[in-house]
Amino acid sequence: MNHRSLLTGVLPFLVAFAQPVQAVDFNWSGFGTLGYVESDESRNYQRFINDSGTIKRDSVLGGQMDVKFDQHWGATVQARLAPSDHYESRWQAALTWAFVSWRPSDDWLIRLGKIRLPLMLNTENLDVGATFDLARLPQEVYSISPMTDVWGVSVSKSWLAETMEWNLEAYTGRADPYWRYYGREIRDGNPTPGSWFVPLDVASSGLVLTARDIGNTFRVGIHEVNASRVGAQSQSEIPYRQVTPSFGFYDMLSGSKVDNLRIPVQTMAASISLPAEVKVTAEYARMKVDSASEGLTRWGAYLAVSKRIGAWTPYVYYAKTKSSGGALDLYQDIDASAERNRRGSTLYNYQKMQADIVSPYDQWTGALGTSFRLTPRSIFKAEWAHTQTGVASNFVDAPSGGNSGDMRFNIFSLSYNFTF
Amino acid sequence: MRRNLLFLLLVLLVPFSGQAQEALVIIAHGSLPKTDLATVQRLYTGRILSIAEQPAVPINLPPGNPLRQQFLEAYLEQNEEQYTGYWLVRRYVGKGTPPREMASVEEILRFVGSTPGAVAYVPQSKVPKGANVVFKR
Repeated sequence: MNHRSLLTGVLPFLVAFAQPVQAVDFNWSGFGTLGYVESDESRNYQRFINDSGTIKRDSVLGGQMDVKFDQHWGATVQARLAPSDHYESRWQAALTWAFVSWRPSDDWLIRLGKIRLPLMLNTENLDVGATFDLARLPQEVYSISPMTDVWGVSVSKSWLAETMEWNLEAYTGRADPYWRYYGREIRDGNPTPGSWFVPLDVASSGLVLTARDIGNTFRVGIHEVNASRVGAQSQSEIPYRQVTPSFGFYDMLSGSKVDNLRIPVQTMAASISLPAEVKVTAEYARMKVDSASEGLTRWGAYLAVSKRIGAWTPYVYYAKTKSSGGALDLYQDIDASAERNRRGSTLYNYQKMQADIVSPYDQWTGALGTSFRLTPRSIFKAEWAHTQTGVASNFVDAPSGGNSGDMRFNIFSLSYNFTF
Repeated sequence: MRRNLLFLLLVLLVPFSGQAQEALVIIAHGSLPKTDLATVQRLYTGRILSIAEQPAVPINLPPGNPLRQQFLEAYLEQNEEQYTGYWLVRRYVGKGTPPREMASVEEILRFVGSTPGAVAYVPQSKVPKGANVVFKR
């Protein structure tokens, strides 16, 4: 925990204990998911999913303390135990929220501290599986933003119409997430295949408009992320270096560098209730990154249809994500350039690593699943998903000597999600 | 004749399932003015904190209490599962916690009588003389 975490994590309790004891209302709750997932492919997908099965992809345990000082002031602290975001084999206990909230009137809410961003419809509650029916939120869309939590401030204003509640939320804050790369042949600073995590210093601001009534939600958001590598500049391109008329190679190190990357992100979402307890949800997000990791410039979207039948909610969804054409071309060109060298040679490995750094995304997923609500606070979920990759997919840890393109695999998920 | 007797016996043995429910009314501390259905709905869903700019503290009965079920259906047009699900999401998007719960109507009556801003629902027959009834559906 860094000093910011410590300060903001402790702040709500300092404020709480400064109040008269009888005036403070403490409200504790917990949540968790025990999820098992297995694919029919030996390569890791979404870091952990392979044919050996894992509980690491979806399992999480968390607790939340809501403190109400009076009608206007409150504080929330949420902690979570989940697989680490910067080590492959470790679990990590982290503060996901730690904020003081001030609601001066019915229609204004100001939160200061560690807050989760209102990116997609379920970003703020994505750790709490009991709050949505899908076994796993489509990563084609939910992975687009480089982070979901910031230390900062959020100001929201609501308007109550006849049936709709409108909410405009503005936020700004900083975060220090890690970005994961996977090298098929070598890693940055390590001559073996595997993952490495790049620490980032990120500032993010955004404006999100949400309209909701009892069964429908609509959301549109614009966000701007400024990201820089901690203690280093970011490569902004991977140029081709022509050494002789007949020989050349891609050389990231000869490309230009920048201190800071400006990353605009746009989001749109709608969840609509139809007759016969049918719900249709569609979300779309896109991001533009002018860096060597050009594949992060991509869009993602999904369409899900579910129908409530008693305690059961069967659903289907189709999700797709795709990097820009230029990024996919660059990945293929670097990969082809590597293949002109002897496999295992320094130049081959170096070229392959650069292709991996492009981070291309091109895949779709079709899923069929159901949730079964055991109680209002606990859900059992089961899902079969089929994923196909196109040119390549950064979600797949590609094998040495191969790539992540043109793969087809099936993913089976079971989970028990609860709150208490 | 035997068939008619059998029918009469069945009618007498089977309890009246269609028994009329007693109406619920919304009462509040004397500091609060009369209100309307939309305000009651917004108060119990955490979208407002006040009635006519006066701070309001909604009180609920615990899940499983038949009066709570009746209130949810009659006033919020939701069932227990929908209401719990609504607050589950609202809590975990950091927008607050559900209304405070009290175990019995008697406890609620004591609280409403003594706490400025308190609002609750009670059966009409339990409303004390002189209580501030702010809305009735």
